[in-house]
Amino acid sequence: MERSIYAKPLAMSNPKESFKAIARLLDPQSVAVVGASNSKDKVGHIIFEGLKRSRARLYPVNPHEDVISGHKSYSQASDLPITVDVAVITVRAENAVQIAEQCARCGIENIIIVAGGFAEAGDKGAALEERLRAVPGRWGSRILGPNSLGVFVPQANFDTIFVEHGDQALAEGGGIAFVSQSGSVGVEALGLASNTGFPMRAFVGLGNKIDLNELDFLEFFGAEGKTDCIALYVENVEQGRKFLEAAREVSRHKPVVALKAGRTPSGVSAVSSHTGKLAGSDRVVSGAFRQYGIQRAYDDEELCDAAKTLSYLPPARGNRVAVVTGAGGFGVMCADYIESDNPRARLQMAELSPGTVSRIREKAPAFASCHNPVDLTAGVTNEMYVHAMEALLEDETVDILICIAFFAPHAVTDKLIDQMAVVIGNRDKPVLVFTEYGPFTDTYLKEFYKKRMIGFPSLTRTVRAVRFLVERGRILSALGGEV
Amino acid sequence: MSVTDMADIVEQWRSSISIPGKPNEWESKQLLGAVGIAVPKGLFIEAGNPLTAREEASTLDRAAAWVVKVCSGEILHKTEQEGVLLDVAAGDLPAAVATLQKRFPSRGVLVEEMATYRGGEIIIGALYDPTFGPAVMVGSGGILTELYKDVAFRLAPCTVKEAHLMLEELTIHPTLKGYRGLPGNADALAEIVEKIADLAVHLIGEGCQLDINPIVWSRERWIALDVKTIIAEDDS
Repeated sequence: MERSIYAKPLAMSNPKESFKAIARLLDPQSVAVVGASNSKDKVGHIIFEGLKRSRARLYPVNPHEDVISGHKSYSQASDLPITVDVAVITVRAENAVQIAEQCARCGIENIIIVAGGFAEAGDKGAALEERLRAVPGRWGSRILGPNSLGVFVPQANFDTIFVEHGDQALAEGGGIAFVSQSGSVGVEALGLASNTGFPMRAFVGLGNKIDLNELDFLEFFGAEGKTDCIALYVENVEQGRKFLEAAREVSRHKPVVALKAGRTPSGVSAVSSHTGKLAGSDRVVSGAFRQYGIQRAYDDEELCDAAKTLSYLPPARGNRVAVVTGAGGFGVMCADYIESDNPRARLQMAELSPGTVSRIREKAPAFASCHNPVDLTAGVTNEMYVHAMEALLEDETVDILICIAFFAPHAVTDKLIDQMAVVIGNRDKPVLVFTEYGPFTDTYLKEFYKKRMIGFPSLTRTVRAVRFLVERGRILSALGGEV
Repeated sequence: MSVTDMADIVEQWRSSISIPGKPNEWESKQLLGAVGIAVPKGLFIEAGNPLTAREEASTLDRAAAWVVKVCSGEILHKTEQEGVLLDVAAGDLPAAVATLQKRFPSRGVLVEEMATYRGGEIIIGALYDPTFGPAVMVGSGGILTELYKDVAFRLAPCTVKEAHLMLEELTIHPTLKGYRGLPGNADALAEIVEKIADLAVHLIGEGCQLDINPIVWSRERWIALDVKTIIAEDDS
């Protein structure tokens, strides 16, 4: 609401200009760190040290130091010899606003404000935030935050996050743009995801989003080629309808997964209707997301699992799942999960064609069950796994394959990972691998990831990821039909 | 129905409400009728007026049974307040009307044909979401609707195709598709959901709510047996 009282500067009203500014925010040539410091306990120190790995030219700003970490330090933003692409303001809230104003006056296009202590911290903070809100409209700078961890772009080595976030493990990069209103949810999600590999295009911490918000980044990442999946964590959605319309456009081309936390009241002042009471928490949000092609996740693990799966695997063309396993019990459990009710997507066990059953039988152990779930028993070998997977993927009754792979049987070797990767890479049907191997589980999952395979250490997560693929397939056909 | 038609219908209807901001059931049913949703044949009797012999003879002669309800925008839970008499024979109508008028002296009374129906009771609703604006709902209706919570939401407007997807989310979906010999009436219901969504775009501002509960399948069409409209004061 408050946003509208300020006129939007050119950069904001023109999407092309706005995209260019965001592109520079994510891969700047030059960065000023206001509050950079030689004292190791300062946030400004940690951020500055982190940025030394990037290819951007760095300009520390701190009136109390002459040299910071080998770089000449400037007293204030207006002393900088060039107009930098990004200013990261690391000082506390009381000083940050004035500095942001100064940076904006100097023509700095993007300003990241790390400090908290704004509207979330009472009246005084709210007043500071109100003043900050005027900056973009007045000088045309874009502000990320306040209360933002900033951005992390593996491919550009650009990383303003000052807390541990699995950055080494995520350094290879990938196609997922991860936009999070909450810093710690985002960072912990990344940490978790990085344990087994996560293809990261960029992380953006929105914070209090007084200017740049989820809509800006949805549109940006939606339009650029480097992103193949967008993951969002939001607590409140700005410009609700516009956000949804944008999401629908984006989801025609790439998946959008959103974790919307925080239940808003139904908005009906005195709820007296059944409809109002039934809407209660956030069923309208679920309905709206579905209608506009957004796939909803409910916690950080689900958000990361879904994003990774949707980034790596093609959408499912139907909901018929085949399972191949080396352990009967896990096959039965998996079938139970597949056939249990779930509002996201109904799944069914594929009924294999007779040809597939006899083809699998050719190379299966004597006691194997060659119907779905295909149980190759503990007598399974690499070759049997591969042979069965090929047969199942070529069967027209199968839309998705879950491979329950165990590396404990003596005839199964680590070579199976490469062999599976070849089978999977040659097909356009999604394949997900479930594996458990005691303390080595994550190591195997990481190996899968390196070969572009999606693996999970639990059946729940595996089947849940399958449902996201089926949901995605349905969204695509629904959007396609409506165009 | 074009968008402007719908806007006009809502505008005209708003100005016709007897207590501004508080439409009664009869008035809400006029609105549904105007947008093409069936409602029971009925008669509204102003507070204090007796049911006259002429009305009895001319309009109320065909049905086997009647429903008599207190009808006021200020009474939202009429069953709980003993404001509904069901299964009233034609000959007993004047007495039934008089009974309710005695119970609610300052309120109107609505006399309606009692519909017989097959299949489940459905609820269709609309409300205003603070983030996303007008939304529409469909699901299992009747008095247990809030216990079952078998409902689906979408934002308004909402296409017929989307309305079908809403129906598919419901546990009771098979009952609209011929389950145990029930009539297949999902298509007709989806069209009504779309219509209510269109209506919601014009009718449902901040603080507004609409409940059609139940809407049932009777004589080869969906018919709204009860409707509540809540319009925010400053919006009327």
